[in-house]
Amino acid sequence: MSLVLSLDFQYTTSIEKAWAALTDPNKLAQWITANDFKPVVGHRFQFRHEPNEYWDGVVDGEVLIVEEPTRLSYSWAAGDERHTVTWTLQDLGDGRVNLHLEQTGFSHVHGLEGARYGWKEWFGKFEQVLEG
Amino acid sequence: MIENHSSRDVFDAIADPTRRQLIHLLSQADEKPLHELTSQFSMGRTAVSKHLTVLKEAGLVLDRKVGRETRFKLNAAPLREVQDWVAYYSKYWTTNMLRLGQLLEEEKH
Repeated sequence: MSLVLSLDFQYTTSIEKAWAALTDPNKLAQWITANDFKPVVGHRFQFRHEPNEYWDGVVDGEVLIVEEPTRLSYSWAAGDERHTVTWTLQDLGDGRVNLHLEQTGFSHVHGLEGARYGWKEWFGKFEQVLEG
Repeated sequence: MIENHSSRDVFDAIADPTRRQLIHLLSQADEKPLHELTSQFSMGRTAVSKHLTVLKEAGLVLDRKVGRETRFKLNAAPLREVQDWVAYYSKYWTTNMLRLGQLLEEEKH
């Protein structure tokens, strides 16, 4: 494992609704962008964002893992970057759900293979230095 | 983006735990002589020097001779390249997740 973008978000909802939000193309369109996603392993899809001067706005993906309603993984390719996005859903009880996102495979950092590291913490240490 | 005239990729430079530790040590002082840096590691002076050379090539470390010793100083600017780039994706998701929160909120009604 190399550079990992790891984020957690908590919502007041049911795990079924959270799963639907991650997998239903109409719902995805409301919070990510226009898409032709299907929660079927092997399905190829696109997230089509507004293009800008740096990027044509297209994310090409392929569904890798579908374990309703707890785990979803797909490849996520934009420009030269080939990433993997994995969602883990956890029912926290009391109508709360945790969504854990991991995005891996940042191509700039092939040299980081084997160097699992807490990037957020590491950069936290340097914030002052970087501000300077 | 940052202008990068250095001969080594900053991502490669920080891929190694010893080099990250060196950066951390150098971030705690204005500059440090080699012997102060080597005393923090179980490896020898030559090995530490090699790591410092890699950092230097990536533009992360500056050195200067003071009498017989070489002093090293952190140049954190290239680290921004890494930070900006991770921050870009972090922001992408954080923005989307706010919209997801709104969507889930609306569904309750």
